[in-house]
Amino acid sequence: MTFEEAQRELEQIVERLERGDAGLDEAIKLWERGEELYKRCVGQLDAAQGKIEELARRAESAKP
Amino acid sequence: MKVEAIQYGDRKVYTVASFNRGVADWLSRLPTIWVEGEVTELRRNARWQSVFFTLKDPSDGACVGVTIARSRFDALRLDLADGERAHVFGRPELFEAKGDYRMRALSIERFGLGDHLAALERLKKKLAAEGVFERKRPLPLLPRRIGLVTGNDAAAKRDVLATITARFPAARIVVAETYVQGPFAATAMIEALREVSAAPDVDVVVLARGGGSFEDLLPFSDERLVRAVAASPVPVVSAVGHEQDTPLCDLAADARASTPTAAARLVVPDAAELLQRLDRARGALGRGARGVVERRRQRLEQTHERLRRAPALAVERKRARLEHSAGRLRALSPRATLQRGYAIVRRGDAIVRSADAVAAGETIDVEVAEGRFGARVE
Repeated sequence: MTFEEAQRELEQIVERLERGDAGLDEAIKLWERGEELYKRCVGQLDAAQGKIEELARRAESAKP
Repeated sequence: MKVEAIQYGDRKVYTVASFNRGVADWLSRLPTIWVEGEVTELRRNARWQSVFFTLKDPSDGACVGVTIARSRFDALRLDLADGERAHVFGRPELFEAKGDYRMRALSIERFGLGDHLAALERLKKKLAAEGVFERKRPLPLLPRRIGLVTGNDAAAKRDVLATITARFPAARIVVAETYVQGPFAATAMIEALREVSAAPDVDVVVLARGGGSFEDLLPFSDERLVRAVAASPVPVVSAVGHEQDTPLCDLAADARASTPTAAARLVVPDAAELLQRLDRARGALGRGARGVVERRRQRLEQTHERLRRAPALAVERKRARLEHSAGRLRALSPRATLQRGYAIVRRGDAIVRSADAVAAGETIDVEVAEGRFGARVE
């Protein structure tokens, strides 16, 4: 699942919850799914940031 | 002398000598006029009666032989040298022994400054009309090799080389040293230009010469050189003379520099400045990449905040609906019935639903909407 896919699903869940038309049990399930998606997205962002910093460090040390 | 024909029946036939004589006679009737050209192959010998030279058209190389009496030539004190422009006053004359015709000159005048200026102006108009000055190609940002056409010990050469090396130490330069003034300069520079522009990897050519007199710079306005510059396969930067000089090759070149040093600045970038720009670009690249992640993170955090609040919100909504139902439920309780004027009658703890359940004299309990009171059965 790409970051964008996860983010889109997360936003749909939030909108659904905010509309308030889900059953209580379903709302709890949606919430759990939302938290899971959030964790996945944060993980992907952290990985991307780490890669950027690593590249920046490598570029810096290769400076002529 | 009378030209006599030999009769062969009906046919009139002339000897070669009489034919030449006839032509010579006819030529001698042509007027004496001024002819303009470049003096070449000048031959003067103290033992000869005449001085010989060839007058050449600088634009297309057309030639005519010229003779002038040595005494007359010497009296003019022209000190003419090969390659110089001149006006020659004379008329055509046949050299009868050979059947060659040549020009018998009576006078020669050096090409003066005004003549040069007028000739330059005419040439400039002609070349401009042909579009020779119109091609302007962009110079390469980073030439693989640079061709330099210049004099062999010229300050111009030193200036160009020093400036290029200071700005871009890694630059590679092909130098073609050549004559840059005098009668052979134009053809020599054309050859040098052809040579360096054909050298492998040469992406731009600099044609450089320091300042000089008007005559010194004339070869740089030579029609053949101007055309060669315009037709060069690689862009040409012309840096000839000083600011105020505008030889025609400056107009035909792809770029013009006021001095050789300025030409060097045109052909190579400043390495230090280039590195700084690259560094700035790399910084911006890093910031750009971090910004992308940062914007995603902010949006994600906002969404997460909404998610965090959502369950509580949902429960709150459900609770509100429950309260609403409870309210309606309460509205349906017996108390509401009492409000309408009904009463509940109890004997002890039991609700009285029938008159048989009580006997006269017994105490009962009556509950109405507002409070309760005791009563006795009659």
